[in-house]
Amino acid sequence: MNDRSGSSAMGEETDDLEIEEDSQKDKFLTFRIGEEGYGLDIRHITEIIGIQKITPVPDMPDYVVGVINLRGTVIPIMNVRRRFGLPLKDYDPRTCIIVVNLEETSLGLIVDEVSEVLTITEDCLEPPPRVSRGPNSRFIQGLGKVGNEARMILDTKKILYDGEPARAGSAEQE
Amino acid sequence: MSENDDNIDIIRDFVQESRDALESLEQAVIELGRNPGDTKSLNVIFRLFHSMKGTAGFLGFKNISSVTHAAESLLDLIRSGEMELRTPDHINLLIQAADFAKEALAELESSMDDKALSVKAEWLSSILHQALAKKPDTQAVEPNEAEPPAVAAGDEPQADQPENKPVQKPRAPDPLLGPEMLERFIQESDELLQKFEQDLLEWMKSPINMDVVSDAFRSIHSFKGNCGFFGFEDLEKLSHNMESLLDIIRTGGSVDQASVAEALLSLKDTLRNAVADISRGGTGLVKDLDDNLRVLRDISQGGKLKSGKTQGGGRLGEMLVAEGLVTKEALSKALDTQTKPLGEILVDMGATSPDAVNKVLSRQIKEKAGEDAKSKQGIIKRQDIRVDLEKLDSLITLIGELVIAENMMVNSPDLTGLPLENFGKAAKQTSKIVRELQELAMLVRMVPVSALFRRMIRLVHDLSAKCGKKADLILSGEETEVDKTIIEILTDPLVHMIRNSIDHGIETPHERRLAGKPEAGSVRLSASHEEGEVWIVVEDDGKGLNKEKILAKAVKLGLIGGDVSELSDTETYNLIFLPGFSTADQVSDVSGRGVGMDVVKQNLDKINCKIEVVSRPGKGLKFTLRIPLTLAIIDGMLIRVGGSRYILPITSIKESFCPKREAITISADGQELVRVREEFMPVLRLHELHKITPDSVDLPEGILIVLDSAAGNLALFVDEILGQQQTVIKGLSKYISDVGKVRGVSGCTILGNGEVCLILDVGGIVETTQDRAGAWAGAGD
Repeated sequence: MNDRSGSSAMGEETDDLEIEEDSQKDKFLTFRIGEEGYGLDIRHITEIIGIQKITPVPDMPDYVVGVINLRGTVIPIMNVRRRFGLPLKDYDPRTCIIVVNLEETSLGLIVDEVSEVLTITEDCLEPPPRVSRGPNSRFIQGLGKVGNEARMILDTKKILYDGEPARAGSAEQE
Repeated sequence: MSENDDNIDIIRDFVQESRDALESLEQAVIELGRNPGDTKSLNVIFRLFHSMKGTAGFLGFKNISSVTHAAESLLDLIRSGEMELRTPDHINLLIQAADFAKEALAELESSMDDKALSVKAEWLSSILHQALAKKPDTQAVEPNEAEPPAVAAGDEPQADQPENKPVQKPRAPDPLLGPEMLERFIQESDELLQKFEQDLLEWMKSPINMDVVSDAFRSIHSFKGNCGFFGFEDLEKLSHNMESLLDIIRTGGSVDQASVAEALLSLKDTLRNAVADISRGGTGLVKDLDDNLRVLRDISQGGKLKSGKTQGGGRLGEMLVAEGLVTKEALSKALDTQTKPLGEILVDMGATSPDAVNKVLSRQIKEKAGEDAKSKQGIIKRQDIRVDLEKLDSLITLIGELVIAENMMVNSPDLTGLPLENFGKAAKQTSKIVRELQELAMLVRMVPVSALFRRMIRLVHDLSAKCGKKADLILSGEETEVDKTIIEILTDPLVHMIRNSIDHGIETPHERRLAGKPEAGSVRLSASHEEGEVWIVVEDDGKGLNKEKILAKAVKLGLIGGDVSELSDTETYNLIFLPGFSTADQVSDVSGRGVGMDVVKQNLDKINCKIEVVSRPGKGLKFTLRIPLTLAIIDGMLIRVGGSRYILPITSIKESFCPKREAITISADGQELVRVREEFMPVLRLHELHKITPDSVDLPEGILIVLDSAAGNLALFVDEILGQQQTVIKGLSKYISDVGKVRGVSGCTILGNGEVCLILDVGGIVETTQDRAGAWAGAGD
């Protein structure tokens, strides 16, 4: 039902933010969820589309909100807020779906806002903080330093497939 | 084999064809074993080995050709009555030869050569030769005693082989030749003659090109061989003479090129007409054989071709003579000086009147036209072509996309409210064509189950021997067609089910005698179209399932707990599909590990196939597989609940109605029931199942759709029925099935507005309700 509220906010605007970047090393697409900045390896990203009508699928983990039609192909959509156990937020014109492709599987990730593509070289990448920052630390591949800020670089594979128990954590946080 | 690199395609074709041939070969061998006097099977086997030998020899696969040759020789001896068919020795030998051929084909496919099999080939052909050498009265051969690297029968096993049988003895048109063989002969002849024609035309263009003459020579030679094999003597004789003529040309004999070529072309037409005649069930006799032969002889002796008009209603000159309108002398004189059409010369010579010539000419034309019409009817229809499956699939995908696009266009919101009379007409026409196209595309993928069924013959034969039981396989409905993908998925389950039937179901001959049943058990395998599905039934007359044993085992394995007496028969029998379940006391090498039925279930789930088990203790066991007709497109009913839309397969809908309040009752365990005529059925609220807000939760305000399922009827509560729609099934992403287990949804489709819409799976929905009913029952305890 939460998706239903989103679909009304979907509106006519479809941000044609298609990025036609070469797959390149050390490049990361950064985006925001709440106040936090995250990064995804650009090699896994196929395109960025605006939010659109999502058809819910039953019997799914709560973070898989449904499927959409992307030019004739049906792809599942994950709400990253739910995946991280964060409270949901209504979709707005800045809400985007980042379409990733990993090992022949396409998946859309709903994020609050897409920021920019940054180059973060290996020497600016730090391992994830030792001290656990909650259940979401397992998704973090490393910390990328950009000026004074840090972006959490996400591990695409873990975002897609890493275990179920996230829900226990999400229940606590909500 | 260096030239093999260029021959890859030919080898692939060979492998493919031989595979097909082997399937029918196996069947025929087993048939022969069962019925040793069956000369038809014997001939079929002989021919199949023969043709495989031929091609293998041509491609240089010595091992295959030596084995098939030995098998062929054995068969020839049996066929001619010089040796008696001994079962099971000879049958086993033939099966071994077929197995070898299969293995060799697999080897060919991977390495394009059969060299790796030379030891086995040598061994096999040597035991075949052993069998050949033995007189009928000697001790039976024990093929299994000879170990693979047996004494080699020389480098060329064929060489020392009793080749005293005249293979080319004259035969009358053999009534035993199957229609399939004849069909192949006709197709092949057609191709050969066409090739022959092309080569001749090429030769007419460039008379010094002797290569094309050689090609033509080869074509006609092959044609002659085929005719001889099938006993079409006239064709054989004629083509033989044509071959001789070509041989003269090829070796440098001087002839009048243009007239020879023309004569050969017209003779080719004669041959083709005769072949067409055969294809219509004719005898393949050539009417004016002697005439034609004489023409050929004349040319071969350096004589000029008299007239091009050899076919049709005979030649003009001859017709005139026959009618007594011209004398023979006048004719030959005219022919000698022929520079103009014959009729004109004769008139000029005053040998006849223009009227007479015209009359005969018009008759000649008429007769010829008649022949032409006849030969046109007889144009051989090509039965099939091989198409790359990938190409076919992309065609079908494209058609699927077309259906969606067409839906999108016709239902475009831009068009609402516009007066579009002409557009409407055009759109309707387009829809109709698209629909037909789609149906056709689906048909293209359909193949008969016969090949799949036939594979089981061998299985039953081997298994019953292994288990010491007697079993016959009875096939029916082999012509039923199903999607190719389904055939592939069905293979394993069928093997497992038949294996189970023979190993566990059918009793030993002794037990069967005691039970008053015939010694030989039977396994029935049938296919049919029922209720918009394809049903495949596997039925045996063995001892059936032992309910007590199954329940005891299930409790022991902890698969079910508590009171088992409440389980219905169906529920009990369904336990056999659980992984690891087997009631066999000991594991044999055939079955008993409890994997089989699990595999069956898993595979069949993939194609949405339902299984029904019916067991009659002591009488037999019956599996019914209910398979959806096609995997790609279904007739769907679009329904709506709140803001969500779903597709229901039309085949599972029985009826729909607005319920009256008094028809609804609630059972003791809280399940809503609705009465339809005399029957009460459970109500399932789709909005609860998928957690949607509906227009109304009050049953009389919505619609109930009665769904048919294996477990009985069910009424699905929805807000509205929107209409019928051709639905292209798309899979939900693999990711979906990786992270969760969707039940009650078989896939999805894309609606006209681009939205994704789920397709409901009735079986799954029923299961879900049953689970919930179970949960309620549990909560009540």
